[in-house]
Amino acid sequence: MPAAAAIKVMVVDDQTSMRAMIRRALQDLGFKDVRDKSGASEALSAIKTDRVHLVISDFNMPEMDGLQFLEAVRNDPVIGKTVFIMLTGSADKEIVQKAAALGVNNYVVKPFSPAALKEKIERVFGELT
Amino acid sequence: MRRMAIVQGENAIVVEPDVVITTLLGSCVAACLYDPVAKVGGMNHFLLGEPSADHRVSAGDMQRYGIHAMELLINGMMKKGAMRTRLRAHIYGGANIVSGLGSIGSSNAAFAHRFMQTEGIEVAHSDVGGTSARKIEFLPQEGRSRCTKVADRVPDRPPVPVALPPVGGDLELF
Repeated sequence: MPAAAAIKVMVVDDQTSMRAMIRRALQDLGFKDVRDKSGASEALSAIKTDRVHLVISDFNMPEMDGLQFLEAVRNDPVIGKTVFIMLTGSADKEIVQKAAALGVNNYVVKPFSPAALKEKIERVFGELT
Repeated sequence: MRRMAIVQGENAIVVEPDVVITTLLGSCVAACLYDPVAKVGGMNHFLLGEPSADHRVSAGDMQRYGIHAMELLINGMMKKGAMRTRLRAHIYGGANIVSGLGSIGSSNAAFAHRFMQTEGIEVAHSDVGGTSARKIEFLPQEGRSRCTKVADRVPDRPPVPVALPPVGGDLELF
């Protein structure tokens, strides 16, 4: 069984098309358990109740943004060590630096290819397939 | 009335009255979005791919560039007070006028419609396809637009090849 199949993922983006595209990319990489939410607060509650190994979250979201979400995850005693990969726009260098300071595991610049996403995940988890 | 002209790859977001956003479209598509409550409107102008013999853009690539172009516009509008659930759209362009480009215009238009449907954004008006170029004028505050068919051939610059995305961006933190 490929390593990806054992990794539970939560995808968080306020844009439905983006979530659908990431889900498809992850499924093509062999991920079997992919959940998604349109908002960070919903996602936070969901992963506290049913833990995941990997969070892939957009930065730019209304209400709770990706950095606030990351901070909330890192401050939680139970899910604090969950792997967190942030999706950012190309001009968001400052955000990447802030995310790094908050303990993000990696980041992907939009628009990204499935190969770029795979590479970033593999830098954290090792070979997926 | 102030006029703001945009070209392929750009978008404009307006919250002030008496501004008209304009663009000229061939096979490209422009999405005019507005929030009638917040009085925020914006337009983008994108081409999803250039299917030349040696640099064919896959359907997947086209989709992710389109989604990105739409996200930039929507996020920009939300920063100025628009709400995603209130957005309405006008869609223009997607003509098949450049010989050798096949049905790229139709693909662009189909993408734009599919995107709005997926995101639950009502398309209040649409004029796509055909073989004529279009001149679009959009009054973002009022959510009104006008489309004029242009008799001349393609107003677009030759299609710009879609650049491959950076694998990791400029920052090497990881």
